[in-house]
Amino acid sequence: MSTPLADSSESQAIRDEIADLKMRLRDANARLRGVQANGQAPPAKVLHSDGPLSTSSHHFLLLLSDSALPLGSFAFSSGLESYLSHTRPRSSFPAFLDFSLSSYASTTLPFVLAAHRKPEDLIDLDDALDAAIMCTVGRRASVAQGRALLSIWDRSFSAALPVGAEGAVVESLREFAGLMKGTSSTASSDLPTASAHLGPLFGAIACILGMSLQQTAYVFMLSHVKALLSAAVRASIFGPYHAQKMLASVEVQEGIQRVVDQQWNTKVEDAGQSVPVIDLWIGRHEMLYSRIFNS
Amino acid sequence: MTSPFPPSSSAPGEGRLVVQLLPHNISALSTITFQYPLKLISPSPSAAQKSVLVFLLTYGGGLVGGDQVNLTINVKRKAKLSIVTQGHTKIFKSPTRQVVTRQSLHVTVEDGAAVCLLPDPVQPFEGSVYGQSQKFYVAEGGSLCLLDWVSAGRTARGEDWDLRAWSGRNEVWLAPQSNDKARLLLRDNVILEREALDGTIQDLRKKMHGMGIFGTLVLRGPLMEALAAFFMSEFAALPRIGARDFRSQDRKETDDKAGLSQQETWRYSRLSQEKEAGVLWSVAKVRGCIVVKFGARTVEGSRDWIGSMLKEEGSVVSHFGEDAAMCVR
Repeated sequence: MSTPLADSSESQAIRDEIADLKMRLRDANARLRGVQANGQAPPAKVLHSDGPLSTSSHHFLLLLSDSALPLGSFAFSSGLESYLSHTRPRSSFPAFLDFSLSSYASTTLPFVLAAHRKPEDLIDLDDALDAAIMCTVGRRASVAQGRALLSIWDRSFSAALPVGAEGAVVESLREFAGLMKGTSSTASSDLPTASAHLGPLFGAIACILGMSLQQTAYVFMLSHVKALLSAAVRASIFGPYHAQKMLASVEVQEGIQRVVDQQWNTKVEDAGQSVPVIDLWIGRHEMLYSRIFNS
Repeated sequence: MTSPFPPSSSAPGEGRLVVQLLPHNISALSTITFQYPLKLISPSPSAAQKSVLVFLLTYGGGLVGGDQVNLTINVKRKAKLSIVTQGHTKIFKSPTRQVVTRQSLHVTVEDGAAVCLLPDPVQPFEGSVYGQSQKFYVAEGGSLCLLDWVSAGRTARGEDWDLRAWSGRNEVWLAPQSNDKARLLLRDNVILEREALDGTIQDLRKKMHGMGIFGTLVLRGPLMEALAAFFMSEFAALPRIGARDFRSQDRKETDDKAGLSQQETWRYSRLSQEKEAGVLWSVAKVRGCIVVKFGARTVEGSRDWIGSMLKEEGSVVSHFGEDAAMCVR
């Protein structure tokens, strides 16, 4: 058994060795930096690109999630206004948010995902979604925002695409826009060839802009929550700080992630209404005596 | 040794109906086959009948976990068929979430033909797993009246949406003219899930928001045009939610006495029934079909409501006969 003195001298030697190694590492790192950069190193890119585009997909992620995106979402409350009138005075916004998130995800998210996975199917997906919306008011809201998104694509985003990027997919979107122009004159007919619903268009455009499937699904649902909260503020349920608090909350984050996970593998044929009473509220929005929203 | 008999063409739960038009405008069954657990009964035809009536039954009045029923129906040119049930279709408990009780219906409605499907509500018991798929291929001049409703279960035993999962899909396709593909007109899909496939439990009761029954009525085609228009106009005539009546009590009474039409009197009594039973309904035009969605606190409340609507308008009875609407009698 060694004496305490001998022990301490041995550990001192190891400590010295560590200090020496650390200094040499620092030295080597400094030399490496010198060789690489020849002076000031450039700042790391804020947004690096994963997608096929030279432009950053994150850039478009931020644009599509921006509340200033001129979709006209502020005009729609997705049944919130009607819910409040039907349930007063026992209304609860968190409960409605839950219903709406679940219902919007189960009816629409599979179409967003499918359009992102296969943008060339856009026309069929749009037609299938048109057949699956069982509510006049909801259809109007979906089509109004979808047409706005198509215009944004046409007039604004498409110009930012580098030449030759994703040729076939961009072509299918152009074909869709052409089809839309053709049908707008005969909008009264029972069977439209194209309607431009928001969900599938959002998926297809996000795909072309290089956003990942996860990002697309998350932003799509987040935008819905943001629109609901903004409607709630304007309907004077609570103020803007409380709205931001809810938006930032773990419940909302987890709620969005949960519905995205639930619908990740849902086929569009199996998309459907998971909260039937939502269809009633949205459908009966037209029956309100006074209203400040379009849905 | 090979059997000397031809192989059996029917499988368990399979059924087939073909309806055609006989001379003197009488619709009659030309084929009716079915296999356990499905049972089809048609009362003997009479010369006065407006449509062929078929009872869609199951042995024991319900489907046991894992039962599969597949019914194919073909309604030929200008023939008329109405399908009813004899009480709720009970869906018994499934041993696990994976065991799905299924009922599927495949109906072809030819030009000028009509189908009226007014069954009693489906009653999913606690722990049941049910998937229903009803596809209708309707020719341009074909007509369809379809009711699909589901209740909260055995409410007398305290059940309140305690099923594991329930899904109901109704598709209406426009039958192709020649070599074209059939065109999807409407896909109505309702998914009630308390227990997901991975076993997570959700609060279905909260989602149903106090509704004891939820239903969908789909109308399409020339014979249903009047009924569809009736639902649209009654919906438009609903009182505005949140509107106030500023008339004095006297004025109200004199207004009430001042000759209400028969229709208005009926509407007022229906509206008070709607209020009492907590009926919420809305109507939408979906690509040439009319879809009525409704919910109510109790099965009886919704039965009274839809019965009152169908009876007041009268198309169903005049085109298909009294018995077609027996589920709301």
